[in-house]
Amino acid sequence: MHAKGVIRTLMAGTAAVVAIGIATGTASAQAQAPGPAGTAAGTTVTNTAQASYSVNGVQQSATSNAVNFVVDRKVNLTVTANQPANTPVSIGQTAAVTTFKVTNNTNGTQDFLLSPTQLPIQNLFAGDNFDVENIKIFVDSNGNGTYDAGVDTATYINELGADQSAIVFIVADIPNNQANVLAGVTLIVQVAAGGDAAAQGLPLAVSVGANNDTVVDVVFADNDSDGLGLDVALNGQGRASLGYEITTRNVALTVAKSQLVLSDPINLAIAPKAIPGAVVQYCLIVNNGTVGTPASNVTLSDVIPANTTYVANSISIGALALGQTCLLTGIVGGVPLADDGTITVPVLNFTGSYNANTKTVNATIPTLLGGTSVAATFRVTIN
Amino acid sequence: MITRPMIAAVLVATTAVASAAAGPLQVTSSILVEARAAAADGTTRIALVKPSKVTPGDKVIFVVSYRNTGTQPLGNVVLDNPLPRQVAYRSANPGSPAPDVSVDGKTFGSLETLRVRSLDGSTRAASPNDVTSVRWRLASPLAAGSQGQFAFQAVLK
Repeated sequence: MHAKGVIRTLMAGTAAVVAIGIATGTASAQAQAPGPAGTAAGTTVTNTAQASYSVNGVQQSATSNAVNFVVDRKVNLTVTANQPANTPVSIGQTAAVTTFKVTNNTNGTQDFLLSPTQLPIQNLFAGDNFDVENIKIFVDSNGNGTYDAGVDTATYINELGADQSAIVFIVADIPNNQANVLAGVTLIVQVAAGGDAAAQGLPLAVSVGANNDTVVDVVFADNDSDGLGLDVALNGQGRASLGYEITTRNVALTVAKSQLVLSDPINLAIAPKAIPGAVVQYCLIVNNGTVGTPASNVTLSDVIPANTTYVANSISIGALALGQTCLLTGIVGGVPLADDGTITVPVLNFTGSYNANTKTVNATIPTLLGGTSVAATFRVTIN
Repeated sequence: MITRPMIAAVLVATTAVASAAAGPLQVTSSILVEARAAAADGTTRIALVKPSKVTPGDKVIFVVSYRNTGTQPLGNVVLDNPLPRQVAYRSANPGSPAPDVSVDGKTFGSLETLRVRSLDGSTRAASPNDVTSVRWRLASPLAAGSQGQFAFQAVLK
């Protein structure tokens, strides 16, 4: 095999004698280094070796052939949720937004195609019990990271450079169903061909077939982005998931008002009639009909009727009694409140007040548990 | 003097487009990549093949072959390979003598002896990433008809 004479090697690392053959331009200045995605796809890497030698004491030089190859496309991407937690929503809310971030780790400029899925992801979204509706996907056009309806309208990521990122929004409506708790949504991102700023590129596919050093082959280098089996490595796709979580619910809140003449100046408390001077008690009963969902900060407000006079410090608030009395009595049932609002019912934190200027009775119930009622009463005298 | 067959036979079969130079020393450059294939015995064989698919981070092997096509011995043979700027030097290819390297294209030596000057004027030990050129020097004259080759490994940035 080594028929042609002796093959020589050199003494590596020997000191000394200055060589000729200083490198040409190709060796100098390591031009600006590429980013983490590496040398751009399509770059031609060319190598040329040089030699110097002497024949009978005469210096000569030689240059090798130039050999080159084309850098291929190493397709990779990262898709992450771009918000710290699920999006809190209320029943029936429209255009609720989840935010994702797509990073192009490919050594070239690519388009990215976006699609949603609501396939339940167990383990990740335990308790996922509904699907959002009217799903749309938009790309953040102005880089503010916030969905601007009518402004962020692109439905795919166009011409995203190597190592660059884009923000993507999933916008969806929450169905009006009180049983809803959590909906998981997943953004699927597919790397597509770049190069046409005016149109969406086709999804990339791995180059197969004959080797060709002079064309840019496509090599998928993306990982399994979810670790759950829905995404797989080396498929040119990435995905990330977020949830819509119902944190605000509408409750069936009703208020019933009743009145009862307590006494009159003639009959006193026995079969009293609504004559001038009679004392009338009004009762407001507020009921939260949505079992399991408390209502927060329920405020009752009632202007006293014309031709009546409010009886000072007559507001009471508490649990509902049966029959005509409206309120239970005692510390548990009805607690008398001061007109100036300085008295708060212990534990339950009910408050109430009377505004003499507007002739308005106010009562506030910080928390009204589902399926329960609270009553508030006040009294007036008929002028 | 050391005489020994160098580098796997597969390298000999690589691209051999002769340069246009008419001199007696013919220098041929070629680029190869490793292709891993599972062998029947369960091991992995690494063959060197033409670089059909090379993406950032891949190992690339540069081979410099030389041959004295003339009739007289050639003295002071020095083979110099400036690195394409898209690659970072790693090491000599197994089986090939280590080259002298340079971080500035002027001063050559073993990597441990080289230092790199930073923008602030301080210096630090050179790393393989700093290498811009490699060079081999034949210790003795290259007889007529003799040939050989050197190789080094780099990674595509």
